[in-house]
Amino acid sequence: MTNDPIIQVENLSKLYRLGTIGTGSLRQDVQRWWYQTILRKEDPFFKVASDKGTSADFLWALRDINFEIKEGEAFAIIGRNGAGKSTLLKILSKVIRPTQGVVRGRGRINSLLEIGTGFHDELTGRENIYLNGHFLGMTRSEIKSKFDEIVDFSGVEQFIDTPVKRYSSGMYVRLAFAVAAHLEPDILVVDEVLAVGDAEFQKKCLGKMNDASKKEGRTILFVSHNMQAVNNLCHRAMLLQKGAMLKIGAVDKVVNHYLSGIQQHMLSQQWPDTETAPGNATIRVTSVQLTPHLEDTLRPIDVRTELTLTFEFWNYEEGINLVTGIHLFTQSSECIFDVSSKPQVYSKGLIKGTCSIPGNFLNDGSYYISIIFVKDTSTEVFYLSECIAFDVEDFRENTNWYGKWMGHVRPNFPVILTPLPALP
Amino acid sequence: MRWQWEIKPESAWFEWNWKEIWNYRHLLLRLIRRDFLTQYQQTLLGPAWVVIQPLVTVLLYVIIFDRVVGISTNETPPTLFYLSGIIVWNLFAESFSGTVYTFTANAPLFAKVYFPRLIIPFSVTASHIIRFFIQFMLFAGFYVYNLYSGTVTFNLAYCILAIPLAIVVSAGLGLGSGLALSVFLAKYRDLTNLIQLTIRLLMFATPVIYPLSIVPDKIKAVMLYNPLVPVIEFFRMAFLGQGTVSGVQLAYSIVSVMVIFLAGSILFNKMGSKLIDVV
Repeated sequence: MTNDPIIQVENLSKLYRLGTIGTGSLRQDVQRWWYQTILRKEDPFFKVASDKGTSADFLWALRDINFEIKEGEAFAIIGRNGAGKSTLLKILSKVIRPTQGVVRGRGRINSLLEIGTGFHDELTGRENIYLNGHFLGMTRSEIKSKFDEIVDFSGVEQFIDTPVKRYSSGMYVRLAFAVAAHLEPDILVVDEVLAVGDAEFQKKCLGKMNDASKKEGRTILFVSHNMQAVNNLCHRAMLLQKGAMLKIGAVDKVVNHYLSGIQQHMLSQQWPDTETAPGNATIRVTSVQLTPHLEDTLRPIDVRTELTLTFEFWNYEEGINLVTGIHLFTQSSECIFDVSSKPQVYSKGLIKGTCSIPGNFLNDGSYYISIIFVKDTSTEVFYLSECIAFDVEDFRENTNWYGKWMGHVRPNFPVILTPLPALP
Repeated sequence: MRWQWEIKPESAWFEWNWKEIWNYRHLLLRLIRRDFLTQYQQTLLGPAWVVIQPLVTVLLYVIIFDRVVGISTNETPPTLFYLSGIIVWNLFAESFSGTVYTFTANAPLFAKVYFPRLIIPFSVTASHIIRFFIQFMLFAGFYVYNLYSGTVTFNLAYCILAIPLAIVVSAGLGLGSGLALSVFLAKYRDLTNLIQLTIRLLMFATPVIYPLSIVPDKIKAVMLYNPLVPVIEFFRMAFLGQGTVSGVQLAYSIVSVMVIFLAGSILFNKMGSKLIDVV
């Protein structure tokens, strides 16, 4: 990586007109033309949108984006759906034009917003390799020299002269990816659509990108929702929100900022006023809190994080034989566990409960907690449902696999393989 | 350190990037190849359709316009008369309808990958020029037969001039007007119906099935605004010895087609990069 910027983005904005474009637009177009060309005034529609910030008919998909990418850098663009990631990639790929601002760059840029662009079903694999390659900007000699490699990589040698409409969908995707993987641009722009397909294919895609970035020193721009892949592949990242740049910097910082931002903040609830606090004549809950044991409070909760649930409640019944149970559910309402305190007799007063969920126990996902209060081991006194909600992020080390880990729990039980002596 | 490229909100009106188009020439050739390979995939007669279509049209015209209606063909054999009109007209009509839908037909492609957009209409037009040559061979076959039976005479110098002229004017007019209209068609879809209708009517306003000489002078003056008219007449004069055309009219054809082509491609280039938001 050198220190020279290879792409420079300055004040980039993109305005979209919403709603149906059709009958109404001819009048608007004529009006706009009249204002701009004949009266030499500002575009009346454009003004409306920039004055009010957001207008019902217009949307700023991107607003005043500024950044630079250095040569050889792997740069990620992250954000929620509709944040403007794809719009930015499309502008960088010259597919659409910005409304304002400018992008400057050096060297050859290739973008993979999709694989198999321009594939024609009726043509053979061989014809499609050339067609797709040319669409992606490869010259004939480039494709010719890499043709065997591409076919090898795709693993469809046998069917290379068969029309691709006869291919299985897996073969089709492999062939399409094989062409894309043999591009040799200075800057590679990759959209997350590449990460479709089975786990093995994803691994191949990401592996190839890793090679391009780390071994071949190409500049990569990568859009993804897969934070593990982003963390592993990229040096720097940019976080977009509703078209604006929220944060830019080292990849782990930006990813953490993004994840802690999207995590649900129902980690604690307090009811100082006992009159309105949830409960009844017997039980009044005053607070519940889930504390993640994190060294860095800015980091999100991940699969390693130990969690402690604490709750406080008033008991109004003298000599109650009480049991409290903690129910943990997944977002799809499947109960993961139901743990409870030992039955015991309590006097009137404030009672505090705690429960620890160890690290390396829950899998990544979204969870919520409910608390049940039971009298005499069988009568339900009060059920405080969904009082805590939280997300657990994925964390992996020393693995090249980024697919979804199966199961609701992810304990660290050792799995041991022992080679056995060969049978005589 | 210098920047090598820039992406700006607008392209200039006269931003000609011929070098870029040249860099994508392999794509152009590949697209022509794709057109031919896919058009006749899974058909029994395959590429023969290139000649069957004009052949059947000629047969119909001979039966309807020559035998039934009895429109004069100025003593030239009706087969050759109609065929000459059809192949030149077809080149225009096919180039036009092939390029006018550029944006609507290629929207998914244009939304995913950048390449000079002009490559697509260029490749379509080039395919139709190749088809023109094949159909011209058919014409030549009939022509040689008629030469032997002595029903036609020809002017070699005119013939050599007539073929490139027919190609440049018909294909150029089809491509140029197709480029210009494709920009509007991308935005206002109702033009689709209008365009189909206009093309059909325009054929009857062009001397394809009748000679210009039978047209009353008043109407002829209006018809001659159509750059195709002098070219079809000249083509017939060269090969069949019958045609009413002057050098000035031919010069008008060439100049007007050049103007239309330039205007069309400038408009296409200027608007092309913005249209993807609309299509």
